[in-house]
Order: sequence, then structure tokens, then C-alpha cells
Amino acid sequence: MSENEPKILSFLCNWCSYGAADLAGVSRMEYPTNIRVIRIPCTGRMSPKFILAGLRRGADAVWVSG
Amino acid sequence: MNSYTDKIKEISKRLLKEDKVDMVVGYRKGSVPLMHQPYIAQNEAEVDAFVWDSSCGLNLANYITDRTERIGILATGCNSRNIAVHLVEGKIKREQLYIIGIPCKAMVDRHKLAAMADGDITSVEEDEEKGTITIKGENFSETVNKADVLQENCSLCMHRNPVIYDELAAEEVPEQSTDEIDPYARVKEIEAMDPDEKWNHFDDLLSDCIRCYACRNACPLCYCPLCFVDESNPQWVGKSMDATDVRTFHFLRAYHCAGRCTDCGACVRACPVGINVRDFTKKLEKDCLELFGWEAGLSAEQRPPLDTYSPKDPEDFIK
Amino acid sequence: MKNLMEHMGIEPERLHFSWISSAESTKFVDVATKVTEAAKSLENKEKKFAKTKPKVA
Repeated sequence: MSENEPKILSFLCNWCSYGAADLAGVSRMEYPTNIRVIRIPCTGRMSPKFILAGLRRGADAVWVSG
Repeated sequence: MNSYTDKIKEISKRLLKEDKVDMVVGYRKGSVPLMHQPYIAQNEAEVDAFVWDSSCGLNLANYITDRTERIGILATGCNSRNIAVHLVEGKIKREQLYIIGIPCKAMVDRHKLAAMADGDITSVEEDEEKGTITIKGENFSETVNKADVLQENCSLCMHRNPVIYDELAAEEVPEQSTDEIDPYARVKEIEAMDPDEKWNHFDDLLSDCIRCYACRNACPLCYCPLCFVDESNPQWVGKSMDATDVRTFHFLRAYHCAGRCTDCGACVRACPVGINVRDFTKKLEKDCLELFGWEAGLSAEQRPPLDTYSPKDPEDFIK
Repeated sequence: MKNLMEHMGIEPERLHFSWISSAESTKFVDVATKVTEAAKSLENKEKKFAKTKPKVA
């Protein structure tokens, strides 16, 4: 992976998108490797603080998915 | 607006005498011109310190958070809306309050006047009939039209008369209408910029910030027992003057006010370096109006949009 | 949130929200790809909001 690849911080809901990501893995689908997943118990717990904290620590983009 | 002063004193004295309230929250002359201090009168003698003119810009709703006493409080349009926000959020009970409604004739902008003055302003006189303000200092004296030196939020205000009150101190004043002025002109100006221009605009805006948190302390909405800026584990925002930290603070502070801010302008007035913090909050206010048809503090019963769910909530930002 | 971020000058490509059920693995792959592409389009731009080393005068 080259230096220029963006880092995408993703907050995935345990029950929805995390499951989808798991299924995608099990089904051997291919998706970009730029995504760094944080599993959260529920997207309802998301706070603007988390997004800012991510950007502050140098994430190129943030993706929240429920 | 000095004619209000006597009426305010009269009502306050009556309330204290009849033992309807334990205290009345109002303003007294501040230690510096153009900044009247919030003042809590607990007996009739203390009421005599009360004043009312165009320098009563701080928000009194800030002083009733979590109080247990019976309180009489002066309330202009924006103050009364903040009281309504407090009621909705359970920070005070309606039975505890006796709201003295004050139809507001707008406040003057101390930063604008200070910029006009040739030195320190030592005294201020207001001529109610002519609508002029005279500022005096050691070597100068200047008279200006009050209309030219209003706080920006006051000149754009759509709710000058209090929305909830027990008694009015004067006749209601005429409201401005959106036909004459566009309250969101400045927001639209910023919206029209491209991302880099916006970024630089806010960089310039915040470059003077000294992180004194006066805007937070003046704000009636900021009543968290522990503010996010003081949290150390995890630490959301650094305590330095670093541009990123300053921006994080202002962003989160504004966001905490989403759907609650009444644009009272206390933050701008309190700011010692004259930053127009409202560039953030006004945008949120506009969004709330456009997305949810919501204006903060107009009702003491309805829950604000950000703590209710409706299937009609806009969701086009979700993929 | 997104509106204010953009108002402040964060590029819209930097923040994404989506809604994917646990059965929609194809949608997940699809959105993941789109998000990555959006982020890549900003490749040459300076990161915003990232806390770099403090500027010492």
C-alpha cells in the first residue's frame, strides 16, 4: 500500500453495517483496504466528538454507518 | 429605554413585598460602560440598583439554571425564549418563575461603539426620544443613531416581544418581518464560498480567540456540570491556542447549541476580542428552521427536533 | 453535523453517513468503494482539522 492511500475511519454499527462487513468478508467480496473499522454497539451512540477526534488524529475521511 | 427602569423597579418591589418571589434577576450598572451586570435583588432596597437601557445585553436565563427558589426574572424576547428552553429541558419549573416581560427595543453593540471611540469610553448617555447614543471619553464626545450601532443579532431579531410572561412592563413593540430584512444574509454569504474559502474565513475569524471561554460562560445553554473542554480522559480538545484546538472548541460548542440557540448574542457581547461567534450558531439556526421548521424557545411544551424522532426527519444525507 | 462541517470548510467528501443492513453485503462493498473514491479525490489536498505539531514561534 502506497503512502498516499487515504485512511478512512469507519464507525460501523455492530448489528447492521458490521454484520454486512462480516458477510462481505465471508462471501469473499473485495473492497478497498483503506477502511479502518471501529465497531460500535449502536450508531445511536455516535457523537460529533468521535468524528472530530478522528479527523484531529489524521483520518482523511470519516464514515458513519448504521 | 430608561422609561422601563421605573416600571421594572415598581414591579420588582411589589413582587418582593407581596412575597411572591424570593429574588428578582435584573441588571445593574456595570463597572465598565456599555456592559450592565446581571444583578440579583433579594429585598426591596436592592431593587433600587436596577437599570434598563440599551446595554443590557447579557442573557438572564443563565442565572436561573437549577435554582430552587422562587424567582422573578426580566425577560426580553430572546431571554424569554431561553427561559422556555430551560423549561423544556427541565432546568427550572414554571411555578418557580414570575416572568416580567420586556418588549425589547434592541441592544447596542459595544464593540462597534468602542471602535468609533477615540480612546476609552467613560460614560454613555441615551436619548430615548431622538434614538441617539452619546459616548464620552477623556477627549472626545460622539453622538450616533442607535439604529446604526445595534448588535447584529438585535437588528435581525424576529422576536422582540417575550413569548412567555406573567406581566408586561410596557406596551408590545412592533416585530420586524422577513419582508424587510433577511436574518440569514450573512450565513448565505458564507454558504456561497467554496470549502477552502470557508476554511480560511473561519481561520481569520478565530485567529484572535484567546480561549477564555467567555462565550461559553455567558451562554444560558452551557450548563453541563463538566464541559467537554475540561474533560481529560478522553481529552476531546487540547487546551492550547493551536488553531485546530480553537476550531474544535468553537465547532463543538456551536453544535451543542443546535436547535437550542435563540441568537441572543450574549456570546458575541461577552467576547473580549470581538469574535462574531454567531457565524457558527446562526448557520445551525437556519438549518433547524429549514430542515425541521423549528425555532428555539417559542414553546415551553414542544420537544426540540434533535431529541425527538419523526419518520419525516430529513435523511437525504444518508446513503 | 454534516451541514456545519461543510459550513466550516470541511470538504463534503470527508464525511459520510450510510445505512446498511447486516444482509446487504453488496451494498457495503459498494458504499465502501464510493467512500474510498471520494476520499481519494482529495488526495492532494491538505488534511483539515488534523492536529499537526504545534507551531512554535
